[in-house]
Amino acid sequence: MFSFTVKYFGFLKFVPGLAIVFDAWLKIHTLITKPILLDWIDLIETRMLSLPNTTTHNHKYGGLQFDRYQTEIGHIHSNGLLDMLLTRKIKANLMQQGRILDHHSFKNTGWISFYIRTEGDVQYALELLQLGYERIGERE
Amino acid sequence: MNKPELAKFKGYVAANLVAFALIGLSKLIMADPNVFIYAEFVIIPMLMGVVYTWFMRKYVISTRALAWASCVNCFIAIVLSAAFLREGIICLFIVSPLLLCFVLLGGLLGRYIFRRNNNTLNVSLVSLMLLAFVADSLSGHHYENEVTDTITINAPPAEVWKHVVAYRRNTSPSKYWLFKAGMPSPVESTAEGYYLGAKRKCIFSNGYVFDEKIVTYDENKNLTFDITHQPLDPEIMGHIDILRGQFLLKDNGNNTTTLIGNSWYRLYVFPVWYYDIWAQSITRNVHLRVMEHIKQLSETK
Repeated sequence: MFSFTVKYFGFLKFVPGLAIVFDAWLKIHTLITKPILLDWIDLIETRMLSLPNTTTHNHKYGGLQFDRYQTEIGHIHSNGLLDMLLTRKIKANLMQQGRILDHHSFKNTGWISFYIRTEGDVQYALELLQLGYERIGERE
Repeated sequence: MNKPELAKFKGYVAANLVAFALIGLSKLIMADPNVFIYAEFVIIPMLMGVVYTWFMRKYVISTRALAWASCVNCFIAIVLSAAFLREGIICLFIVSPLLLCFVLLGGLLGRYIFRRNNNTLNVSLVSLMLLAFVADSLSGHHYENEVTDTITINAPPAEVWKHVVAYRRNTSPSKYWLFKAGMPSPVESTAEGYYLGAKRKCIFSNGYVFDEKIVTYDENKNLTFDITHQPLDPEIMGHIDILRGQFLLKDNGNNTTTLIGNSWYRLYVFPVWYYDIWAQSITRNVHLRVMEHIKQLSETK
């Protein structure tokens, strides 16, 4: 459903607030189809907030965004899709491991996508977010 | 009942009380109390979510628990709407995704602001929502739209015309899921005559009748009729007025006819970005049900 909506109705994300409404519907869909995913996202939020200078807020296109020093580390849509920006070099290395995907919209950039589907994926998502966190740290 | 359970219970009661009090207030201050405005489907549900989380502010609420609580809050509001506002089941089914979404958004917003424990921010946000509610209640709301559908019939216009003005009962099963779910669909049309000014009736599957009057009678080309009276069905009562219907026949010159169906309607429920999707879908399927029946009657030798 998410891919279909992004592909055919993605242009609507520029309507103020609509992506946040869509993400609320995604939450309800997840509540029905895979409620534990909502707990996993909460767990990731708690772990990320335990890192210094990290904050969370709504992502402009829907989802939970993690920032360090007000710079985005990444965001998780309510269907468990983690999107984040890494360097192209780190991305290339991770792509070889075969667990991450090219970002669902921004191909050929440092953006990656990773679907959180199992409990094991939660740990991997945290490792990815840690990489993003450190990347911003190096820039400060 | 332990303390968190009691807080939940109070949250549900207070959220619904606030919602119904605000709906009552909006009816008092609105220029047209028959209109269900944006504030009633967006701001009030958000406030319901905020009120619920205010009662739960001393406890950690997981997103899953908040989503479930939003479902419960929404369910209570829907049951109360059916009981006190006399809303129809299908109507409530249509409104429920919108309500649920904004109750959940309000809950998430409430959880965020009460976590920060910033009273200035809390008061500002709630005041802003109430201000938007009052402003929306006092604003004018008027929305009309037109839906057009076209089919090709393998018969000349003169043959099609016979079934456009009036047609016998349609006994074929409906394909549209809302009609299958119980929403009334048009099954028969009668006319007191084939002339301008003749009264026409469109009969629905549940026996409801739309009274119509022919306002344009251009034989084999154009039949336009105004709806002069529509039934007080709880599914549509006060939410949509069908204003006018039209059938245009275009001779394709090869023994086929293009039949164009137009309907004009006025919506009394807002936001239109949500309700007009439903209104267009339902109107389109009313058209198609009638037009496919006309096609079948016209093509039968």
